[in-house]
Amino acid sequence: MYIKAMTGNETVANAVKLCKPDVIAAYPITPQSSVVEKIAVMVNNGELDCEFVQVESEHTSMSILQGASMAGGRVFTATAGNGLHLMYEPYARQSTLRLPAVMALATRELMSPHTVFSGHQDAMIVRDAGWMQVFCENNQEIMDMIIQAYRISEHPDVLLPINVCYDGFYVSHLTERVEVPDQDKVTEFIGAENYKHITLDPKNPMAVDPMTSGPRLMKFRESHLLGMQNALDVIEEVDKEFYEKFGRSYGGAVSEYRCDDAETVIITIGAASGDAKEAVDKAREEGKKVGMIKVRFLRPFPDKKIASLLKDKKAFAVIDRSVSFGWNAGPLYVEIKSAIADLDTSIPNFSAIGGLGGSDLNAEHVYRCIEMLEEFKDGTPGRKETIWLE
Amino acid sequence: MATFIDKLREKEDMVTEGISACKGCGGEMILRRALKIAGPNSVCIIPPGCMAGAGSIGWDDTSGMKIPVTLSLLTNPASFAAGVSRYYQQIGRPDINILAFAGDGATADAGFQSLSGACERNEKILYICYDNEGYMNTGYQRSSTTSEGSRTSTTPVGNVNKGKPEPSKNLPLIMMMHNPEYLATASPSNMNDFVKKVERALEASKRGFAYLHVFAPCPTGWGYKSNESIKYAKNAVKSNFFPLIEYHNGKLSVKKNPNPIPVSVFIKGVKKFKHLDDKSIEILQETTDKRLETLLKLAE
Repeated sequence: MYIKAMTGNETVANAVKLCKPDVIAAYPITPQSSVVEKIAVMVNNGELDCEFVQVESEHTSMSILQGASMAGGRVFTATAGNGLHLMYEPYARQSTLRLPAVMALATRELMSPHTVFSGHQDAMIVRDAGWMQVFCENNQEIMDMIIQAYRISEHPDVLLPINVCYDGFYVSHLTERVEVPDQDKVTEFIGAENYKHITLDPKNPMAVDPMTSGPRLMKFRESHLLGMQNALDVIEEVDKEFYEKFGRSYGGAVSEYRCDDAETVIITIGAASGDAKEAVDKAREEGKKVGMIKVRFLRPFPDKKIASLLKDKKAFAVIDRSVSFGWNAGPLYVEIKSAIADLDTSIPNFSAIGGLGGSDLNAEHVYRCIEMLEEFKDGTPGRKETIWLE
Repeated sequence: MATFIDKLREKEDMVTEGISACKGCGGEMILRRALKIAGPNSVCIIPPGCMAGAGSIGWDDTSGMKIPVTLSLLTNPASFAAGVSRYYQQIGRPDINILAFAGDGATADAGFQSLSGACERNEKILYICYDNEGYMNTGYQRSSTTSEGSRTSTTPVGNVNKGKPEPSKNLPLIMMMHNPEYLATASPSNMNDFVKKVERALEASKRGFAYLHVFAPCPTGWGYKSNESIKYAKNAVKSNFFPLIEYHNGKLSVKKNPNPIPVSVFIKGVKKFKHLDDKSIEILQETTDKRLETLLKLAE
């Protein structure tokens, strides 16, 4: 193990180097570009032995991944925003083929208006494309989750590709202290080879994914949903194993902060979680009984765990860095509402939207939400108006 | 030495019998014969199109081939095949033939960017385009390789517009300008030439990108008797409408055709050209002549 200061993007490249994929295909796009640059340096210096394909578009990077993983290889790509949207066609096919793959996603706002800056909209839009999605708060979590991602993705009960998301610029370009684990320990942790449930190999010829009838297709979908549900357990198992080997745990699909005796709860996702902790600490010092839930996995969605955490609370707010068009709310808020629909209480709650297009989303914003929760907690139950954290 | 007839007789068919291609399909003939030459140590990538629609990939849990095969997206046969190839290069099995077998829609239109990228990166694959001049599997809509004046379901013969107004995209030439490891055009009417080119292309695909553009007459979409495909393929070559070229080691050669027949003879009897007046036929002839002239200059 060694410790080094590195940016989020450099952390991705260093983590990938430890995971030794057979094939990497990527196209540089802001704010992810330095991932591709760093990997190119590693490949050209002979530090990373893989087929590194510098493609003409993200549609091709995902297509290369698909061919390589269907043949049986371990694969990696990284992208952001428009790149993710351009690759949507093969992207959705990767998951519905149940082909493991790891993609780092330096999240970026959707245009228009034209922007290259941060936001979760790119990731949120594809939340129903069948991939798993984990959101990282800082560089260490990126390092650890890229490594864990291979284990989770290739698990025979899961077999699904995964996005390792981290906020563009706020995390991708932030330099932090990162513990880089030993190569042999990582190799031991993720295993030497990908799990091959299908393959394109002349030694074992098969037709993969011919035209398929509806009733049979429904079986595939059922199994896909089951794989997602299995992943909830696998995520926890892998987290525990990772802790035993490397000494860090993230608590599985959801992590909580000062929630035990809390009356009100702030729910966050991604980089804003760090600021939210600061705001919670400040409010706690003032005697406000507030806690925080950081949703780490958006897919699979840890609905039961979230419901149990919110069961006895008096009010909650969900802070989204993206919007759900059609709901006048953030997408995470909508997901949380679904998760608690079966609780027989309807506590005061609201959706807060901030940090779009690179706008600042800081502890002050979160603190404002905490103050509002204090106002609402003993009042009328149900949904309050959506607020914009400007 | 085994002749092309010996090879085609002796080698095993990699595609199952009884697939549902139309009677007289040029595409099916090209697929079967190319894969016979490629043999069992091959992986085949087929995008949506006639060959996928005909069941050469399979249906549900059945396989249409004796070799590994998959149905790629319309947009990515080249890049998907490149991914398969990269994996096999990385694990030390570069001997496997990686073939993409795509129609002109996947090649010249929706999949063109991925094709161009794969060729530029010199990916070690063989890409075969069977050009039947349109989206024949889905009801004969136009593609960018549909020849000028052709009637298709999206370029119908109306009172104002009659057939496709634009000349075809000259894909072999565009691909040649990428400077691939190997490129050739071929026709099912010239089987000796075809077999030789498939062999050379497979060999070249171990070093880099190989591209074959094969003329694929379509009785159903073009409108002619199903036993006449070879006749039309032959006349396309003889009229220089579809010249046979080979680009190898950076050098272009054009198969000699000292006594060309007029394009009007080639198109005679084909329903998709039936409405063409003398002037339209003259335009087709001019395009044909100009394209040949360009090729001959490039071959000098």
